[in-house]
Amino acid sequence: MIRFPILLDIYQRGDGPLKRVERISLPEVGDYSIGRASENQIVLDTPEVSKRHAWLLLREDGIAVADRGSTNHTYIGDTEVDQSPWDGALPVRIAQFEIHLVAQSAIGETRVNVPQDNATRAFASGSAGAPAAVPRGQSIEVALNAPNAPDEMRFPRNVFKSEIVSSAEIKASEYFAGESTYLSVGAGLGSFVWADHLRIFGVSKSEIRAIGDDVIPYANYQRLCRNSQIPPHERLRSNSQSTPDNIWGFPGYASRETWKDLKEFRFGGLKHIFQVFGEASLAQTFTPRSGEVFKSIDSEAQRIGWREMFVSGRVLGIRKTNDERYAVAYRVPEDQARGGVRERIMIGKFIHISTGYPATRFTEDLQAFKARFPEEARVFNAYENHEVVYRSIEQNPMPATVVVRGRGIVASRIIQRLYEARNKNKNITIVHQMRNPIAKNEGYRYKRAQRYVYNHIENQAFNWPKACWGGQLLRETERATPEERVKIYEALGGTTTADRRDWRNIIQLGIGDGWYKPVFGHFETLELVKTDQGPKIQMRLKPQRNQPPVEVVADYALDCTGLIGDISHSPLLRDLAETYKLLRTLGVGGGKPGGISVTPDFEIAGLRNGSGRAYAAGQITLGGPQPGVDTFLGMQYSALRSVDHMAVLGAPNVSLFGPLRSFSQWIKWCTNTKP
Amino acid sequence: MVPTLKGRWLTRILLFLWIGVPITFLFSLYVAGPRSPILPYIGWHYDILPFQILSLILLVGLVMDPVYFYAQQYRWERDWPFAYFFFFSIVEFVIVLALVWWGVLDFTRPRSQLHTSENYLLFTFHFGCVFLLSFIAVLGLIQIFMIRWRFKSGEWGRM
Repeated sequence: MIRFPILLDIYQRGDGPLKRVERISLPEVGDYSIGRASENQIVLDTPEVSKRHAWLLLREDGIAVADRGSTNHTYIGDTEVDQSPWDGALPVRIAQFEIHLVAQSAIGETRVNVPQDNATRAFASGSAGAPAAVPRGQSIEVALNAPNAPDEMRFPRNVFKSEIVSSAEIKASEYFAGESTYLSVGAGLGSFVWADHLRIFGVSKSEIRAIGDDVIPYANYQRLCRNSQIPPHERLRSNSQSTPDNIWGFPGYASRETWKDLKEFRFGGLKHIFQVFGEASLAQTFTPRSGEVFKSIDSEAQRIGWREMFVSGRVLGIRKTNDERYAVAYRVPEDQARGGVRERIMIGKFIHISTGYPATRFTEDLQAFKARFPEEARVFNAYENHEVVYRSIEQNPMPATVVVRGRGIVASRIIQRLYEARNKNKNITIVHQMRNPIAKNEGYRYKRAQRYVYNHIENQAFNWPKACWGGQLLRETERATPEERVKIYEALGGTTTADRRDWRNIIQLGIGDGWYKPVFGHFETLELVKTDQGPKIQMRLKPQRNQPPVEVVADYALDCTGLIGDISHSPLLRDLAETYKLLRTLGVGGGKPGGISVTPDFEIAGLRNGSGRAYAAGQITLGGPQPGVDTFLGMQYSALRSVDHMAVLGAPNVSLFGPLRSFSQWIKWCTNTKP
Repeated sequence: MVPTLKGRWLTRILLFLWIGVPITFLFSLYVAGPRSPILPYIGWHYDILPFQILSLILLVGLVMDPVYFYAQQYRWERDWPFAYFFFFSIVEFVIVLALVWWGVLDFTRPRSQLHTSENYLLFTFHFGCVFLLSFIAVLGLIQIFMIRWRFKSGEWGRM
């Protein structure tokens, strides 16, 4: 057995002897990608490394290395390997890098006694339950220009030596990059909505900074949308009044769309108004087009001066300072290096952390398949780019079977996309794999109400019932104890899809014509089989309720089971939680802890530093007082709560925002005038 | 809308004060003839009748709110669509008309002065104006002034 965390030393061969450039710690079972591209978890940033070079597969019972068809190959010692167990006796070599397993008492027992060719398969079956992960965003970065210093002297550990760091020392150091009253970490939608509130409440843009990967606040969200087949003209699962570009929620996206249509004499646009009027009962719920939402955010970003508040960089660590503030350490992109130095520290009085989902979920069997057959592009997570699937089945008029796994909104959209692909190839068959059937009357119950079920899928307009964003249910979750909350969340949450007429019609049509088939069961085996039509994947399922086992032979499998919310996949948050012993929420389903625990004002209580305050928003606060944190409206709510909280504390230039100021600022929004 | 019972009551009182009272005041000036008392200090004529109707509308609404809230418990989303708000506002007004017809306001003035078709037409027009503006307010006007209202289940005040 392996004891986690696993420590790896990464050495680099320069002109002289090997130099250690980084020590990394991998916290748990998972699939860690190695490559040059920044989406890898371990980034080796030199041209000799392929963009997606290799996998490092960590299991309870051993470690394996799998090459991903890289140009310069992957070696264990001097032996080139495709995929192989790794006991750490010899280092893994990739280009001029060597990865060494740090010897510790437990590591000595990691010898994996499985036949070479079956290695990864054995791992897959031996570690059920633990989700494999392809973490993203907060990746461990090994940069080429890392300073050649002893480990403990490396950034930001060389500055962050204790729980509370000296502000004067930081200011005197070469890393100091400035001070800001309000400082947001992430620079995604959560940061944007927070900054928008601050600006409208009276704070000038020079007092706000947001550090993150991309100047476009919705860049990451848009990528997930695009990959999960929501192009600009497709609609999001979001309400009309959930408006990240407008803190009032009025006018909503429905009236804006209607207005736009009416200006062009398209009177059909009036139907959106009717949708909002009668939504859920008389009409299908209105949802905005993704492209319109992004455009509206662009325009608001322009209005509040987002570009001037944005700081490009990847945040590596956060510490309290000795003058009641916070030090945020980050690394800027190479083109912004200052005399070769990319490391920076900025100091903030009120910080806000909103870094989003740490990882994409990948079910164990599909991940193992990927590692065993890296050259077979046959299984994908719906949130990664999988255009190749549609291209291949649309261009090739041969029969093709696609397995869609999961019953959430992404699965619904992917099925719609495959239905569209059928216009080009009538031989496409969809096999929809779900864990278990759900009968009409088996929907979740909460108190007196029950959720509606259609085609074995629970239906709900949004990912939580509406009253979770400001109604009776929000009241209940805010007042509940952590234990009660878990029970409420179990009843209200779960996987659901939206009740869309077009989606229902597709399912009905598909069942009638025989090209859509739901199958139920837990995965048993996943194999690559050779058939007359070339290689295919063969999946065996163990069904429930004494049914015979199901076998599916398919060309592609798309995993629509979602994203990983566990914050231990983020090195930044893990470090923060460990250093300050931050409270975590209780994870739904028991066992693992959930997000970072916050107060109803979204303050991270454990990070309070005198008069300094730290807030969090978005997915990383899941399981806290508000259920729908990872939504547009949820971010508006958390931003309003934390900014209101600061206003009461007397934070500089944050007004109490009464009715008159609210109205006059709204007029400014309408006329696109700077706040 | 996702109101709680307290939120329903407070929103109703808010609409009564902000929209109901000013509009009703205009109506009371219109209804007033030379026979009516004089508003002290300003010297305007007014009639109390529109205020009596408005108060009845408020009272019926406050009594109906627990019924709506109970019905909401059977909705999975615990919401109250705008269409319901629209429909039940009219139901409430019909109840008010029935009460007047039945004689709840008979103590205020002689039946012959109260139960005229002209008056009933006026009540309907009066209600129509108040209702239309209230509905627009609920659709978005309130949150322009009170940004926290939509997150507070229809209650007033800070978070």
